[in-house]
Amino acid sequence: MTWWERAYLPEILRGLGITTGIFLRNMAKWVTGRRGAVTTYYPEEKRADFAPRNRGKHILTQRPDGSPQCIACNMCATVCPAKVIEIEAGFDANDPQHPKYPVRFEIDYSRCVFCGLCIEACPEDAIRMEQDVPSLVAGDRWAMWLTMDEMLTWNPKQDVAKPYPPKPARPAPGEGAPGGRGPSTH
Amino acid sequence: MEFFIDGVPMQAEDGQTVIQAARANGVDIPHFCWHPELSVPGNCRICMVEVEQEKGDPWFDIACNMPVTEGMRVLLHSEKIVRLRKQTMQFITLNHPVDCGICNKSGECTLQDFHYAHNGQASLSRDAKTHATKFFPLSDRIMLDNERCIMCTLCVRFTNEVSQSKALCAVNRGDHALIRPAEDANFDNDQYSDNVIDLCPVGALLSRQLLDHARVWYLQPTRSVCPGCERGCSIDIWHRKPEWALRALDPRLNTRIDRVTPHENPEVNGLWVCNKARDLAALFERPRATQATLGGAATDLATATASAARLIAAARHPVALVSSWGSNEELAAFATALAPHVQPFVKADHLPLPGEVVEDHLLIKPDKNPNRRAALALFPALPGTLAEAITPQTDLVLVWGEGFDGSAVPAGARVIRLDAYADPVQAQADVFIPVSIQTERSGHYTNFAGVVSPFTACFAPAAGIAHAEELFRAIGLALAPAVAGALTGPAA
Ligand code: SF4
Ligand code: SF4
Ligand code: SF4
Ligand code: SF4
Ligand code: FES
Repeated sequence: MTWWERAYLPEILRGLGITTGIFLRNMAKWVTGRRGAVTTYYPEEKRADFAPRNRGKHILTQRPDGSPQCIACNMCATVCPAKVIEIEAGFDANDPQHPKYPVRFEIDYSRCVFCGLCIEACPEDAIRMEQDVPSLVAGDRWAMWLTMDEMLTWNPKQDVAKPYPPKPARPAPGEGAPGGRGPSTH
Repeated sequence: MEFFIDGVPMQAEDGQTVIQAARANGVDIPHFCWHPELSVPGNCRICMVEVEQEKGDPWFDIACNMPVTEGMRVLLHSEKIVRLRKQTMQFITLNHPVDCGICNKSGECTLQDFHYAHNGQASLSRDAKTHATKFFPLSDRIMLDNERCIMCTLCVRFTNEVSQSKALCAVNRGDHALIRPAEDANFDNDQYSDNVIDLCPVGALLSRQLLDHARVWYLQPTRSVCPGCERGCSIDIWHRKPEWALRALDPRLNTRIDRVTPHENPEVNGLWVCNKARDLAALFERPRATQATLGGAATDLATATASAARLIAAARHPVALVSSWGSNEELAAFATALAPHVQPFVKADHLPLPGEVVEDHLLIKPDKNPNRRAALALFPALPGTLAEAITPQTDLVLVWGEGFDGSAVPAGARVIRLDAYADPVQAQADVFIPVSIQTERSGHYTNFAGVVSPFTACFAPAAGIAHAEELFRAIGLALAPAVAGALTGPAA
């Protein structure tokens, strides 16, 4: 150390100078409405720089009529390595196109590892993961279950990746579906 | 006689078909419409095999309907047969909806398995699939999905040949063929109707109880015995695997009986069970008794056991009504620990319900208790009139199990009750102890013909519920010094 550094006080003043300079610079930007230091006001604000394929919060996609696209097949729950997806299925014989639907669909975020396997397994493109990371702050572990209504609050109109086609008309009895269902993929 | 499958020499008996002989030698030939206990219609063609000839071209025939001949050389994996099977699978799935994601059979579906094993290719058809009725109510218990049906006619043959209700038939031809109830029969009256659900190789016949609620890979079978009648059919009770235990959803789903299927047992029930076994969930999942009581006031198990022992020791003319639903082990424990101190009689816990089929040509037997034979081997039966068993001198009645309302107990006599299900009369008993049910303990039942079948515990009993076998031993231990010591009351 030089004697100047050992004198201590001048270095303190220099440090204060740097801090004040940065503070004033940010303050000036903030006052004029520009963005200053890279600070995110979490949790009110979410980071804007997530990678486009970041695996964040789960969402359930919907059919045009707003019903969940999920057919309660349990493929996601079966493949999930952490076994954190629980689905209660309902059955409606009066809707032969979609007789099975989820009544409850819950994910335990205290144990989910965000591997995305559930999204890969879904045969219906019914479950996806948003870019945004979920807020994982909760008072107890039971509050960390992500419920179906939360997964369904996502607005499908903003999803460019999913074209929501109009719901196909149900064929009248005795008449084949227009164009048929097409050859099966199996 | 000797024959060959893919060049491997095998032994067959006279009159066996190729499929039977192959199975006897541990070789499985794919099949949909063949069933070991039903007639052979030969309509699915998936079992086609090639037979090599000494000279001349090989020929092809269905293994389920072709008798084995001396020296026959069968090929299962020749190039032609592999192609043939692939084309047969293409044909069978031509109009199949392949909605495996929501199909109840998925995980146990032969069509799905064979598709992966023998076809594995997308449909080559460019035509629209033929649509059919999606959910046709076949009976109060069974729903039919005509689109998934592959017209193997196993269900029709079952009702014609085994249950003999002749309740199902096939109407129309080709890809318009449908399974339908026969005009003059009612499938609701078929006591064996649920067997067609297991029999159906695809998810066309659906149990309305189980409909789309559980996926089969979440379930595990536990070997058990149906307590519905004295036949004591071997069954598998399916319940959720512990590693798939639910946390967020209703925890009762973890200890629920999801379905019951027959457990093959040639000595007792063969491959079938009646619908009563399928409804065991309703029988076992009735409201349970969970709290030991003394004169209606809650107490703990140890106190109740000690009080019961004290009452027995103090009684001069004690009578015990033994449950005919107790396992062999429980009955033996009762015989060694309690029978020396009380006068035991075997009672019927359950009588036939109004309208219930009492006896038939196949399995159902008149006595609706699973273990009366074993109980009667140890203790006398309850006489025709209760008054002969419970006389005015009787000062203690021990009732084990259901089926006794208590009105015959003389005034002033003490009552000890052991039961698994909640019943208001329990509050009137001097001592009441809740006991475990069949799905919570392991043991054996002896059926009407003397065949002993085991059952295994599926679930753990709730705290405060005793196993009757341990209870009898505990009471017996408490009693032995009590009687020897001339009622000094050591259990107090
Ligand atoms: S992201 Fe992975 S751990 Fe999380 S729910 Fe999906 S499959 Fe399970
Ligand atoms: S895999 Fe898709 S369709 Fe199936 S239960 Fe999960 S979210 Fe629903
Ligand atoms: S019957 Fe089999 S192949 Fe057909 S939908 Fe059901 S599981 Fe899939
Ligand atoms: S309903 Fe099932 S058992 Fe009956 S013919 Fe169709 S596929 Fe076969
Ligand atoms: S099993 Fe032989 S034709 Fe169906």
